[in-house]
Amino acid sequence: MLIIKNLKVAVEEKEILRGINLEVKPGEVHAIMGPNGSGKSTLANVLAGREDYEVTDGAIQYQGHDLLEMEVDERAQAGIFLAFQYPVEIPGVSTATFLKSTVNAVRKAQGKEELNAVQMLKLMRDKIKMVGMDERLLQRSLNEGFSGGEKKRSEMLQMALLEPKLGILDETDSGLDIDALRIVAEAVNQLRSPDRSFIIVTHYQRLLDYIVPDFVHVLYNGRIVKSGDKNLALQLEDKGYDWIKEEVDSLTAM
Amino acid sequence: MSTIVQDRFAEAKARFQTLFEAGESQLNGHRDHPLHQFRRRAIHFLEGVNFPTRRDEEWKYTSVNRILQPEYTANEAPRLSQADIEPFLIPGLDCHLLVFVNGVFQENLSQTGDFSDGLSVIDIASALSDEKYQASTTAYLEGLLESQSDAFKILNAAFAHHGLLIHAGKKAIVEKPAYLLHLAAPGEKASFNNHMNLIIAEPSSELSVIEGLFELPGAEGTYFNNHLNRIHIRENAHIHHYRLQREGKEGFLVSNVDIEQDGNSTFSSYALDLGGRLVRNNLKTKLNGSGTNTNYWGAYFAKGEQHIDNHTFIDHAVPHCISNELYKGIVTDKASGVFNGKVLVRKDAQKTNAFQQNNNLVLSDKASMDTKPELEIFADDVRCSHGATIGQLDESAVFYLRSRGLPDAQARGMLQHAFLYEAIENMKLEEVRLFAEQLVHHKFEE
Repeated sequence: MLIIKNLKVAVEEKEILRGINLEVKPGEVHAIMGPNGSGKSTLANVLAGREDYEVTDGAIQYQGHDLLEMEVDERAQAGIFLAFQYPVEIPGVSTATFLKSTVNAVRKAQGKEELNAVQMLKLMRDKIKMVGMDERLLQRSLNEGFSGGEKKRSEMLQMALLEPKLGILDETDSGLDIDALRIVAEAVNQLRSPDRSFIIVTHYQRLLDYIVPDFVHVLYNGRIVKSGDKNLALQLEDKGYDWIKEEVDSLTAM
Repeated sequence: MSTIVQDRFAEAKARFQTLFEAGESQLNGHRDHPLHQFRRRAIHFLEGVNFPTRRDEEWKYTSVNRILQPEYTANEAPRLSQADIEPFLIPGLDCHLLVFVNGVFQENLSQTGDFSDGLSVIDIASALSDEKYQASTTAYLEGLLESQSDAFKILNAAFAHHGLLIHAGKKAIVEKPAYLLHLAAPGEKASFNNHMNLIIAEPSSELSVIEGLFELPGAEGTYFNNHLNRIHIRENAHIHHYRLQREGKEGFLVSNVDIEQDGNSTFSSYALDLGGRLVRNNLKTKLNGSGTNTNYWGAYFAKGEQHIDNHTFIDHAVPHCISNELYKGIVTDKASGVFNGKVLVRKDAQKTNAFQQNNNLVLSDKASMDTKPELEIFADDVRCSHGATIGQLDESAVFYLRSRGLPDAQARGMLQHAFLYEAIENMKLEEVRLFAEQLVHHKFEE
């Protein structure tokens, strides 16, 4: 599904990612953890195609295609979905209009027939129920004035509607209370399937109590310094990140 | 003693005088009509009035040269059928329809008279000989010549044949809006179209007037629409004035809207400017009494080589009045835009609340926008604010939309639409709002 090889990324000439290697196979859930500033969000954004980041070296292969050659919208149409840490507020664009446009834009790009009004309504209703969102939010401007929890639900709703092949959650759990967290987790768990993969970027282990990952990677100073299964996350929960930092720093000092 | 002031538009003025005389010679028996007498006085009045130049502060960013150069004809209009006007009707809107082509009233397509809901729509010529309206109509016309030194208003007074008096009687709640459809059908020769409205809302009445200004399809050519509205809103009355324009590529538009508000009245202006080669809108409100509300909503979108200039003015002369203004615009290609919003809060106008906002998107290197909020505040216990921005699309929003699969052009279009929508969504009549959105939509697809 996704193969990242020796990925190096800089922002304004400062190197953030210093050689990431990662393979995600269909159906797998990978958690990427790490202290603040380790490059977790950068990785998520580079996958989605944000242009502020400069890829200086390495390659990303997505379903056999060179991902770095694909435009932002092409990536989305090909099934990559990034749930943002800070979804942008867009005044004047109603949530309903936006959702309909995206669903049909993606369907069109995938060679599927666009949904008519009735089909769209049914689809919306189903998915809204799934993420427990207040239907009235649909009439409001996209994300404008939404609470933190509402914004994250809106992201999950979009993900549920677009049914991506690779879902990336960028610290979607940060700042959420337990109810909102459960909703995010439930949305992901319902979407889990043998041909759909997830990369879950998180600072806290708590989310992983609800979404059990197949792999846990620790990102530090722009590199994956440790990989393991869900137990690694529990270890981090217990001991924090310092022991990893020390381990890595002592190695690099040698 | 003599002063010699060189009038650089002397030739243009002479052409207008000739045009006036040519029209006069066709009047036959109507020369003695009081309206014609008034129009004659207006054309004489023009001799002593100068057209503005860019040396005038008010016209610094807009030159009228282009408007005054062509040789115009006036009052010639093709006869239209119901099918011709169909595309310009507002779907679902139950209204009193009044149709003008090149400033010429189309009786067969229009409804006039005293309507049962307290609304009267009659032509100014008739109003002048109607006992009920004579005094007020005369007073308004005289006011035009006495106090105005604006050349375009004087020209309008001289040339508008088919002006309308739109009158809402005392306590009349007029449910059915008046829709004035002004169509331009330029021929081989450039046409000069004038229209004047006197709109009066008597105490405690309520009225909506919609004006649509469009060029007929297939009739591309040069023309000049010189448009004038004088609106008087009496005590506790409410007027909603909509002006939606998509003039032609070679169309010039000068629109003057002068409002007077008596105490506790409300005026809401909704303007949408999409067309025209050169457009200048002047919107001026004078507040006579306390407790008034004044709303200005404006949206504009200029592309190609269009130039759209909005000058607005609110004169807070009395205390306890509220004014609220939002103008939003997009300029792209080689187009240019101007916004000048003047708010005057006089010394006695304590407890005034005046808010003004002008936001612009400039989408190309060759497009330009000049914006100038002008607040002059002489009272000390007031709440006033203004803001003006000129910027580009928010790229993080573009990225967000694209990351959901929307192609770049669609994402940008959606954001531009949303940007303008904020200045359109306040249109009170839903049918008109939807119609306006449709017009914007077409503009994006051009």
